[in-house]
Amino acid sequence: MKMKKKSVSEWVKSGDPWVWLNAGAVAISVIMVVGLLLLIAVRGLGHFWPADVVEANYALPGQPAYNIVAERVESVEVPAAQLREAGINIPDEHELMQRTLMKTGNRDVYGADFRWVLDEYLTDSKRPEMLFTAERHEWGNLYGYLKAVKENGQIVSETADLEPTDSALATWQVFEKSIDRAARIHEEIKKIEKTDIGRINYGLERIRLKQRSLELEGKLTPAAEADLAAERSQYDEEYKGLQQSLIDLYGEINRDSFIVQVMDGSVHEIAVAKIVHAYRANAMGVPEKIGFYFVKLWEFLTAEPREANTEGGVFPAIFGTVMMVLLMTVLVTPFGVVAAVYLREYASQGWVTRIIRIAVNNLAGVPSIVYGVFGLGFFIYFLGSGIDQAFFPEALPSPTFGTGGLMWASVTLALLTLPVVIVATEEGLARIPRNVREGSLALGATKAETLWRVVLPMASPAIMTGVILAVARAAGEVAPLMLVGVVKLAPSLPLDGNYPYIHLDQKFMHLGFHIYDVGFQSPNVEAARPLVYATALLLVIVIALLNLSAVTIRNHLREKYKSLEM
Amino acid sequence: MSEAKTHSIDISAMQRSQKALRIEDETVCLSVNDLHLYYGEKEALKGVNMVIPEKKVTAFIGPSGCGKSTLLRCFNRMNDLVDTCRITGEINLHNENIYAKGTDVAELRRRVGMVFQKPNPFPKSIYENVAYGLRIQGINKKRLLDETVEWSLRSAALWDEVKDRLHESALGMSGGQQQRLVIARTVAVKPEVLLLDEPASALDPISTLKIEELIHELKNEFTIAIVTHNMQQAARVSDYTAFMYLGDLVEFGDTNTLFTNPEKQQTEDYITGRYG
Repeated sequence: MKMKKKSVSEWVKSGDPWVWLNAGAVAISVIMVVGLLLLIAVRGLGHFWPADVVEANYALPGQPAYNIVAERVESVEVPAAQLREAGINIPDEHELMQRTLMKTGNRDVYGADFRWVLDEYLTDSKRPEMLFTAERHEWGNLYGYLKAVKENGQIVSETADLEPTDSALATWQVFEKSIDRAARIHEEIKKIEKTDIGRINYGLERIRLKQRSLELEGKLTPAAEADLAAERSQYDEEYKGLQQSLIDLYGEINRDSFIVQVMDGSVHEIAVAKIVHAYRANAMGVPEKIGFYFVKLWEFLTAEPREANTEGGVFPAIFGTVMMVLLMTVLVTPFGVVAAVYLREYASQGWVTRIIRIAVNNLAGVPSIVYGVFGLGFFIYFLGSGIDQAFFPEALPSPTFGTGGLMWASVTLALLTLPVVIVATEEGLARIPRNVREGSLALGATKAETLWRVVLPMASPAIMTGVILAVARAAGEVAPLMLVGVVKLAPSLPLDGNYPYIHLDQKFMHLGFHIYDVGFQSPNVEAARPLVYATALLLVIVIALLNLSAVTIRNHLREKYKSLEM
Repeated sequence: MSEAKTHSIDISAMQRSQKALRIEDETVCLSVNDLHLYYGEKEALKGVNMVIPEKKVTAFIGPSGCGKSTLLRCFNRMNDLVDTCRITGEINLHNENIYAKGTDVAELRRRVGMVFQKPNPFPKSIYENVAYGLRIQGINKKRLLDETVEWSLRSAALWDEVKDRLHESALGMSGGQQQRLVIARTVAVKPEVLLLDEPASALDPISTLKIEELIHELKNEFTIAIVTHNMQQAARVSDYTAFMYLGDLVEFGDTNTLFTNPEKQQTEDYITGRYG
């Protein structure tokens, strides 16, 4: 007993418990981070895998049997008692039952995308090769058998077979070609609508504003009016031409339709133009599925969202996030550095400076939503409307800067991250050796020259550290953005080919808000859940990339100015 | 390199054989009149009066804390950077009081250059380090910069060592090279006075020797004031020596005389190593 006691105290004395404790804490942190990333990666990335479609017979006891065609989504065990309470007639011998969420799609036919089934009562489960999945521009996925393809209302290919016979495959090929054709036309239409008509609308709006501003200044002479009218008619002419080609294209794209038999045996005719992708997952081999997976992943990264953000891509959100963070960095860095230089180098180090420093440090702890409220109240309602009154009176009453937008969001986040940059820069300045400053001063440089030519370059790695922290904080921030300019769907990017190219007044999309919107505001939460994980993963990656680039710049600067060790 | 070395040895040999120099015969470069300096309440210099002769080397010796570095930093108003520092009295540079109101401190520091104890090159290329002072003055003509950089590096006996890597970082040089670079950087702006604050104390013996040789070379063109802890160094490089103790200038005179035949007991005690 005595021996043991001694050995325990010796063990404590040796310091081993501390090592174990510290190592344990590190291990738990690492496991949590890795676990988190794995969870969102697995849940998110699985979404793009072309899942097999199951056809089965489903009959609950005492209810009529019906055919079900669906993708398996997830499976849980539920107590039978709970099911009995829900009014399902379950025999007494069951205690736990496997319940599966099936994605049946065809929301236009059944009203819901998903239904829960009890595995026990699924019979005749099979995976027919001709069963296909079609992703549509609206109404979600479609599952069914292809019966015929029509061109201008005339059947060009049809089949009666549900098995992969020659006639069924031939019809499928006609269908695929028709989809490709529709996709090409769709691209053309989008290009005209977005780029060309967008440009015309922008031009027309500019003319309207010009006219209004001339009117306000009282300079709207008949000559000026005629000029504007001429310009306008030019745009109108152009627009008419484009509209004609659009009408033609719409006629073209709506030429084809197809007939599909869905799970309850009913037959529907649907326009091919509504289809984004169609594939027969059950007939695909693994390499084909991998190829298709990357097509979908690429679409997620580069396409615009569809169907209330629950389908399609998140490119506008990625773009908005990165753009906002870059703009914020451009704003916060000079401002923070200038403030830190004043506090550290010029201000006399009395109690006023100390209070300012404490206040700055405490600003970092203010909840971000408070910054959002401040941004809304001060920047948007006060500064923004002031700017509108002064510079954009022609657009009133519709606000230009008097409403949330890219600039105010960036400014608000810059304010939010300012303390971080100030503190980091101050620390950097404090670490510059005195003898280097004296060396510069002794050569006849003034204090400002010394700061600008020697001290600030040497402090730049520390400044970059501040910027890295600022970027990390700003990129993940959502709450204040909801008040100052982020929206769930922005029709156009804040950067385009129309002068002045960067539209700081425009509202934009943001990955963080996109997660919230898709996860909690979406009409179809089940369908959107994997997208929430995928978007979350993407947000983490975007932040990591932004940080990584800042870290790279910092390391480069450190290498250049590594005289601090002297 | 070797040429310069023999040359400098000749000079020091000549110097030893010389008769005592007389301060009255010299042109006055800097004169100090009743200089008091306070750090807060503490009086660090207690009424110093002396002259620094032109184009000669004046050494300041004395135990740590005696005020020799402080005095040196008064010559280019480096002490202005210390918030609590207060000065009374005058220092005249060619009969102009540098503490007069309206003195352009930056201009003064250009005329009175300073080299510090630790080598403090800027984190820039060797070329840019030397060109720094010129660029500050707004000189950006490449030809003029090139000429000055070469002349300065030659003056600091560094040209042959670095001419092939002028655009590499100065931080990659050895400590001795860095200190000579700092000297080159200082002479590049062609100051009238060079203040050296223990320029060799952080260096190895070989580098120290090189710096001492350099001082011999430089005194042909500049007035030099050097603070050193090393009495042998003071004896080797200087024409005049000032011994300071606790903020007082105890004795000032020709180096040979001061070391061989000091007037004050305190001086003798210090140079013979009895305290300090």
